[in-house]
Amino acid sequence: MKYILIVVVAAAVVTRIAMRVRGRAPRADTGTGQGDDGATASPWAGLGAAVDRWGGDVGLVARREIRERVKGRTFRIATLVILLAVAAAVTIPVLTKGNQGTQHIGVVGTLSAPLRATVVATGAALDLKVNLVPEPSLDQAESELRTGKLVAVLDGTQRIVVNQAFAPTDTSNDAVLVRYFAAAISLQAGLEHAGIPPQRAAALAHPPPLPVQGLKPAQRNQTARTTAVYGLILTYILLTQYGTWILMGVIEEKSSRVIEVLLSTLRARQLLAGKVIGIGAVAMMQAALIVGVALGLGAAEGSTLLHGTAPLEVASSLLWVVLGYCFYCWVYAAGGSLADRQDQVQSLAFPLQLPILLGYITSFTALGSGGASTFVKVLAYLPPTAPFSMPVLVGLGQATWWEFLVSVALMLVAIVLVSRAAAAVYNRAILRTGGRVHLREVMAAHAA
Amino acid sequence: MLEFDALTRRYGPVVALDGLSFTVPPGQVFGFLGPNGAGKTTAMRAAFGLVALDSGSVRWKGAAITAAERRRFGYMPEERGLYPGMVVVDQIEYLARLHGVPATDARRAAMHWLERLGVAERAQSKVEALSLGNQQRAQLAASLVHEPELLILDEPLSGLDPVGIDAVGSVLAEQADAGRGVLFSSHQLDLVEDLCQSVAIIDHGRLVAGGSVEDITTSGRRRLVVKVEGDWTGAWARSVPGVSVSRVDGGAVRLVLDEGTDPQAVLAAAMTAGAVEQFGFERRRLSEVFREAVAQ
Repeated sequence: MKYILIVVVAAAVVTRIAMRVRGRAPRADTGTGQGDDGATASPWAGLGAAVDRWGGDVGLVARREIRERVKGRTFRIATLVILLAVAAAVTIPVLTKGNQGTQHIGVVGTLSAPLRATVVATGAALDLKVNLVPEPSLDQAESELRTGKLVAVLDGTQRIVVNQAFAPTDTSNDAVLVRYFAAAISLQAGLEHAGIPPQRAAALAHPPPLPVQGLKPAQRNQTARTTAVYGLILTYILLTQYGTWILMGVIEEKSSRVIEVLLSTLRARQLLAGKVIGIGAVAMMQAALIVGVALGLGAAEGSTLLHGTAPLEVASSLLWVVLGYCFYCWVYAAGGSLADRQDQVQSLAFPLQLPILLGYITSFTALGSGGASTFVKVLAYLPPTAPFSMPVLVGLGQATWWEFLVSVALMLVAIVLVSRAAAAVYNRAILRTGGRVHLREVMAAHAA
Repeated sequence: MLEFDALTRRYGPVVALDGLSFTVPPGQVFGFLGPNGAGKTTAMRAAFGLVALDSGSVRWKGAAITAAERRRFGYMPEERGLYPGMVVVDQIEYLARLHGVPATDARRAAMHWLERLGVAERAQSKVEALSLGNQQRAQLAASLVHEPELLILDEPLSGLDPVGIDAVGSVLAEQADAGRGVLFSSHQLDLVEDLCQSVAIIDHGRLVAGGSVEDITTSGRRRLVVKVEGDWTGAWARSVPGVSVSRVDGGAVRLVLDEGTDPQAVLAAAMTAGAVEQFGFERRRLSEVFREAVAQ
């Protein structure tokens, strides 16, 4: 219950922040009639003015992107939905774990101390905490079974009573627990009946297990893998979303022809840089908010998301979201400059998403199977797929630090090359109207 | 002073500009005229570096145009363009900032021009919510908001009603009176005759006529309008020597006189045909200047 409350509070806080941002925009507008009086009254005015001067023309373009995007309803709803999904992803495993906390087992009559120890140990072996509740009578115990207070009642060592019989195929925690009890208690009680002292009977009934040796080393802890799964999903959602923002932003300017007004005073590369930086800033703010909420909720709820080596995976996933954005923003911008109308967004976005999908699906398969194929290992060094494959290799413990750095270095080189190529395509295509521009034409124009 | 010097631009087999040269002096409303497809838009875009020229150059004050100077130009492209989802005043303010207006003045300037052009009450609306006429006014405000030294407007009158044309005309005249350069294009030659002091008329990327409107409409052979009562065909005029009939509108005969033809002889010929109701010299329309220039 308390976790649902946390999710609700988190959602309320986000909505409140969104409303404050929305409330601020019209206030800034009404300041015009009265000169700047309204602005100087605010303690933020000095900071605002300083920020306002920063970055020259590129800064102006970037700030417009940030303002217009944060003001947009689509952005706020999308952020809220992602936050709720993340909160649910963090909270639900904790909640379900909480449900299987302590199992209350009623005991009618007496059990020897070693038998009691066996019952508790059986629960522990199934990752369940078992609490033995002494019951004065079988009737009393049965009524508590019916109300659900007890999972099962041990009627001495004669039999086990449950509220509803388990089907043979039932593999629920309760069913498995009761079957274990039935076998363990029967064996141990039988040995005691045969005159073997209880301590000795317990030792005979539960000998130390044989050592199990694997041909391959055990996988790293499950937490790192779970973090990698979340990281992978988040990287996919964020990169496709931010890429589409860039694509639509460029197409909006071209299709509405405002591009000609802008380029009469700005250079194309200034406009492009401002757009990429502005949308990137909003994207990183949103990603930071999402990760912050996930980590904060995780810490508050005691989720395992933060334990073990998971922080390394979180950092690696975040780094690759940033690198992935720096790579794909140029690709999407160049793609957008080829369009002529807004309705071409889908047909342009699809081919651009193919490498993203390839990286995402192959990495997901690798995580599912618990090991990366050679193919995925190769993809981890190719810049278009590295943002997905490399963090997964890290999560699977299949990448050394220098392999990680080599992949990052390759990505950085690719970002420089792609930004140049994209700026060239953008420059040549952005003012061409009257139909979709094909990449071939742009290249032909370059060669001519 | 803005100089277009021998601009040439080909798009495959299509010649958009073919050695086009003319000069736009400051302090005048300068009309850049020609039929659709004559090359006006390409030439105007070239002034902003939006078109790569095959040869030739556009110069401002005698030198190549720098990025800093271009920021002090105002431009209204033929294909209007503002962000559809952005609030009008925010958008004009943003464009003012891009043209170098300080933050403290940009919003005030934006409101000033929206008021001046009669769209102040829509300042807080999104551009897409405005009527086409109001979008056009907002676009004009965007080109004026930074008090440009040179205004280049591509077809600013298209789509406007007579009231809108008068409003734009008065703004252009005001800018020219303030000593700024004002270049605007139109394919409706006769519509703009009264708006501009000087014109450049182009066809197929070449200049076909240019100069002050006064000079080019009064130069060349003299023109007469004569109306004789009861005459609807102007047949009398066809037998007068040294005269050619250019047009007959409702009995008013427009005549072009050869060099040395005496107008009094024409009047005498008209009087023999009947009672003369109208007799006077007439300036050439710009469309006639264009037609004659192209026919030569």
